[in-house]
This record gives sequence, C-alpha cells and structure tokens, in this order.
Amino acid sequence: MSMLIKGGEIASEQGAPVRGDVLIEKGVITEVGESLKAPEGTEEVDATGKVVAPAMFDAHVHFREPGQEYKEDIVHGTEAAINGGVTGVVMMPNTSPAIDSAAVVRTVLEKAREVSRIPVYTSGCITKGRGGEELAGIDGMRNLGVVMLTDDGDPVANPAVLRNAMEYATPFGMFFASHCEVAELSGPRALNEGKVSYQLGIKGTPACSEEICMDRDIRLAHATGARVHIQHVSSAIGMETIRWWKERGARVTAEVSPHHLIFNEEDIGEYDTHYKMNPPLRTSEDNAALLEGLKEGVFDLIATDHAPHSEFEKAQDFVSAPNGITGLETALVSLHDRFIATGLVGWDLVVKRYSAEPRRMMGLEPVPIEEGKTADLIIFDPSGETTFSRDFMKSRSVNTPFLDQTLRGRVEMVLRGDQVLLQREGS
Amino acid sequence: MARKDFLDIASLSREEVDLLLDQATPFKELFTRSVKKVPTLKGKSVLMLFYEPSTRTLSSFEVAAKRLSADVIELDVPHSSVTKGETVKDTVDTLQAMRADYIVVRHKMSGLPQAIARQTRASVINAGDGSHAHPTQALLDAFTLKEVFPELSGRKVLIAGDILHSRVARSTSSLLLKLGVEVGFLGPGSLVPRSGPEGITRFTDFDEALRWGPDAVYLLRVQMERQEAQYFPSVHEYHQVYGVTQDRFARIQGEGTYIMHPGPVNRGVELCHEVMDYERSLINQQVENGIAARMAVLYWLKPQTDSEEAERE
Repeated sequence: MSMLIKGGEIASEQGAPVRGDVLIEKGVITEVGESLKAPEGTEEVDATGKVVAPAMFDAHVHFREPGQEYKEDIVHGTEAAINGGVTGVVMMPNTSPAIDSAAVVRTVLEKAREVSRIPVYTSGCITKGRGGEELAGIDGMRNLGVVMLTDDGDPVANPAVLRNAMEYATPFGMFFASHCEVAELSGPRALNEGKVSYQLGIKGTPACSEEICMDRDIRLAHATGARVHIQHVSSAIGMETIRWWKERGARVTAEVSPHHLIFNEEDIGEYDTHYKMNPPLRTSEDNAALLEGLKEGVFDLIATDHAPHSEFEKAQDFVSAPNGITGLETALVSLHDRFIATGLVGWDLVVKRYSAEPRRMMGLEPVPIEEGKTADLIIFDPSGETTFSRDFMKSRSVNTPFLDQTLRGRVEMVLRGDQVLLQREGS
Repeated sequence: MARKDFLDIASLSREEVDLLLDQATPFKELFTRSVKKVPTLKGKSVLMLFYEPSTRTLSSFEVAAKRLSADVIELDVPHSSVTKGETVKDTVDTLQAMRADYIVVRHKMSGLPQAIARQTRASVINAGDGSHAHPTQALLDAFTLKEVFPELSGRKVLIAGDILHSRVARSTSSLLLKLGVEVGFLGPGSLVPRSGPEGITRFTDFDEALRWGPDAVYLLRVQMERQEAQYFPSVHEYHQVYGVTQDRFARIQGEGTYIMHPGPVNRGVELCHEVMDYERSLINQQVENGIAARMAVLYWLKPQTDSEEAERE
C-alpha cells in the first residue's frame, strides 16, 4: 500500500506539530517534507487541519482472556484499541487461569496472533495464580518474550516474596510492575477515604494505602537492583514519592491513567459505579498534582488500565460492583478534549507519554513519523468530535463514564505498515 | 412540592424539613385519641423490605402505615446471604411483581435504596442503608428535640460513639445542621472520621466535649463487632472513656443536659443503668415520635404507581 498524507500537522515527541506531507510506500515512510509529489498509483489523503501522530501504545490493559470472555476478549480488546488510535498493548495477567506460566502465555499469544490486527504483548505473574506465595514459572515466560512481571489487581503482599522475585528475575532482563496498596488498609476497595466516603457511608481506601506499598516496592527494587514500574498512580503524595526516588537514582518508572487525571471522587455522585476503580479517584487537588507530575516527567507514561466489566456487574450496589472502567477507546479523545484542546498540554507530551515511552519501557522501538520507519500512525481530527455510543464502541463492555458523551476530537485513520486498520466513515 | 422518594437528608431543602416536622405534630396528637387511625392511605400498600434485621424500625413503620390505613406487606427476605452479589435489577423485578405503592427498604449496602428508587415507580423510603443514611431516624430525632427546644437554632447537640459506621450520625447531624444546630462528634479517634464531616466539631475527649456545653448528648449504639476489629481495646474501656459513667451522668444531670439514643441501648456500654430512669432522657419519646415522623413521610410522598396504571389502560 502506498499513500501520501498531505498537509497534516505532524506530531512528535519534540515540540509542537510541524506541517508537512508524509509519503508511505509499501508500509514504510519514505519521505517527510513539504509539497511532496505522489508517485503514480499512490492514494492521496488530505490531512489539512488534522494531526498526523505516531500511533499510541497502551501498557496496561485487561483483555479478560482466558476465563472472562463475556467482559472482553483479545479480538474485541484489540479492535477497541484500534478504535482509539492504539496499535500496541500489554495485557495484564489477572485472567482465569492467571497468566503465570509458559503454557498460558503461549495460549494467549497464539490467540492474539490469530485474531489481532495489532501486536499484543502480555505481562506474566510474579506469583502462581497471583497468590502471593510461590513464584510463577518465570523462565518459561521469559523464553516466550515476557519482560514485565506483575500480580496486577493485587500487590505481592509479602515483601520477602517480592524481594526474592526481584533478585531472581532481574538478571533475566525482566522488570516489575506494581499495583500498590496495603490490603488491610484498603477496606472494601470501593472509593477514596475522604469527604465522599463519609457522605456515602462506605469505608474508604486512604491514599496512604497506595503510597506505603509504592514506597515499599521501590525500596525493594532499589535494594535489589531491580527495575520497577508503578502502575496507575492516583495521589499527589504518590507522585511525590516517585519523584523523590527518581531524584535518588532508583530504577523506577510510573504511569498515570486518563481517569485519574480527569475525574475525582466528587464525580461519584449518587453511587455511580462508572467512577469506581482501584486505585480510586481521589480529590481535585490530586488531579492537579498528577497533571503537574505528567508535565514535569515524573510520570513516564500514560496507560488506561482498560478494565471491561459487563453491565449487570456494574449495576450492582457500589460496594459489590467490580472495580475498573474501559479506556482504550476513550483515552486519546478524552486527553485531547480535556488537556490538548484546552491548551494545558501539547501533542508532544501525549506522543511521548502515550506512544514512545511505553514502547521504550517494553524494549520496543518508538514509531516516530520519520523517513525509513515503518508506518505506524494515526490521523486525528481536532475539530471533529466523537460520541461514545454503544454503537461506536468495539469493546465487549461499555463501562466508561464517557458512555453516550460527545468529546472534542476524532481518530479518523489508523495505519500500520501496509494496512489501514481504521478508516472512519465520513472522513 | 411532594417527592416520590425519601432517601436521605442531604437532598432535602429547609422548607421540606419544616413541612415534615410540622406534619408530624397532628399525627402525634392522633395517638392520644381512642381511634388512632386515619383513612389517608386506604387502598394503598406498603411493602417492608428489610434485608437487615430490625424489630424496632420495622414495627415503627408498620404501625405508621397501619395508622394511615395502608395495607402492609412484609416480604420475607434473607438477612445477609443473598444480598451481596444480587443485582439491584433482580431485586426490583421481584418488587414490581408485588405492585406496592410504597417500599420501605433497609439494606446493609450503602446506596441500595437509591438504586431501587431509580428503577421503580413506587415511593421508596430508606429505612437505613449501610453507613450512609437513616433519614426517618433523623426526622424523629429533630422532632423530639423540637419538643423540648421549640427554637432549635443555636442549640448544641453532641453525637457520641461510632460515627464512622453510623448512618444515624450522618443523617441526624445533617438534619440538625440544616436547622441551625451546632453539632459535635465524640468518639474514639479510630471511629470519628477526620475528613468528611463539614461544620462539625470533632472531640475525642468526653470531658472536653461536655465543657463545650451540649444541650443534648446523643449516644449511638456500640456494635460489638467493632471491638473485634480492634477499633477500641475492650467494651469495658469504651465505657470508661466514651460511655456515660456515673460520674459523667452526675455532671449531665447537674447541667440538665438531655440524653438521646436510637435504641436498642447497651446498658453498661454507652450508658450506665441510672441514665435509663433520668427524667431528661428522651429515649422513649424518640420511639413514640418515630411513628409520627414516619406517618408524616408516608403522607408526604407521592408514588407514581397511578401513572403506571394509566399507562396500562
């Protein structure tokens, strides 16, 4: 496939987007510049007023396969990713059975090769069945390409087990991702402890539950020489904890989710379970601190924690309803709507944090729009809009606070190699 | 304007509060007559849906509904096992089949009555949900206080005990604040939230709280499982530090401070035996006023079940 994308604003990690044309031949970017001429037989796409950006990469998704395919599966999850402008994902291993051995990793990756149009990576468990006691089959998973180890959904409660795992797997070139909380402090894991938990009469999870565990895991990594990635940081002090350790040279990276940037506990209103996730939404002060942390580079990446749940599950009372919201389809548009369109951040930040850095963390090459690189890009219309209707969404689940809302911005095209993965109708 | 549901105190306006309190007065006067019944809700049905055991609140609602001539149906629901994991929709489907005009719900899950209310045309009355709200208790408490202090504004009420888990503390404090009452919370540091309650003075020392000069001390029932969860070391220690001991009772008597309690009382825990015979104990008055307050709520609400009928026709 050959294509000439004309007149778009080409986004990169560095600075504001620059107007130019992009020539793609047989899936490879052969020229980037002004007033390019399309060779014979090349499709021309007018991208005037649109942003041409490297495609996104989400390092934290729950595809629920195997075991809970009624919530999500690899085919729907990857199609949801494409729908949101994402062309690579890292699955979390809290499936049923958990992804804790070569056998399950192989099953998942084979399925992905069969059904997915984008690369799917999976993390592997630190402990068998995420039980927190026995180490998982680490070598077998390594041989299948697993680099990230995590018991996501829960921390490894026993620090001695985590320490052993770090000592053991670090020489294999693997790194750790931590879901941070102290279960005994978290209560029913329903919402932040504070004003809203008091009003709603549900025992809250204090931010210190997350912060204590985060500090513990970074200390363990620092002591063992391991690399640790802190998942879905939700609080201001959590952000400062990471900053403090980074300044001391700890090998720590961290992610922030769009929902922790955009929403806070006040949004829960009258027990709306679309605002229930773990770690919980905290306060508007935390929103502001997290955004500062993102702008200042405390957070290496943005990741959604795409966590599909079916409607009947979310329709339960607030405590019984499961934690998590979907994110793959809404992330980029919501980041645009809330932060780019409002001038709070630029495209360079989103490209760096939601496209380049997550790939680097996984040991992959970023996908800048440069000559000689494989095409892996999106065309985004900042003056378009997206309505997150049930029809729009490709995920098996619709548990997002953005359901039926219209936001500014629209992913019009997703291109990877010589394949057009998405060409939005009417664009 | 009448509402469909009575779910919490937070959403009530001051005017609505005053209306309900005024309405309870004639109902209470009715109790002294030989015929205690009025035909107001004749032909209407009130469904009692108590997922948590409670004899007092259940009986109070039953008496209130019957004195308004409503038919009362008590649905036999499991008290704990099924509740977790049962979807609200399942519950509502069951209820629709009953065709009740009013549903009185008590559930251990905070927010469940709200969820039911959104999905039914019947009027839903929250009879206590988790640690969230117990609005009819708040109403009867305010009504009781108004009987001794006709002008409540500027009065001080100290609510003592397990604030953290108490729906009574939340609803009653919220209503009293609306009426201009100054509210203090007293209890073990582990059971009085530091963040959340706004405009309320927090005490962890009973004697300091008494120096604050409350007009009434409202004691909450201590749930024994709180001790098991190590919120305080022992029931004995709780009584010594946070209970109305004989010494504190002497001070309370000396000041003429009123005592309230939502019942049932744990004698020797929240209060010593002597308090039960105190002439300024409002505890029995609260029980009687509960019926009047609940009648006022039933009388005030407007179920939309009539429009359902219209739709069918």
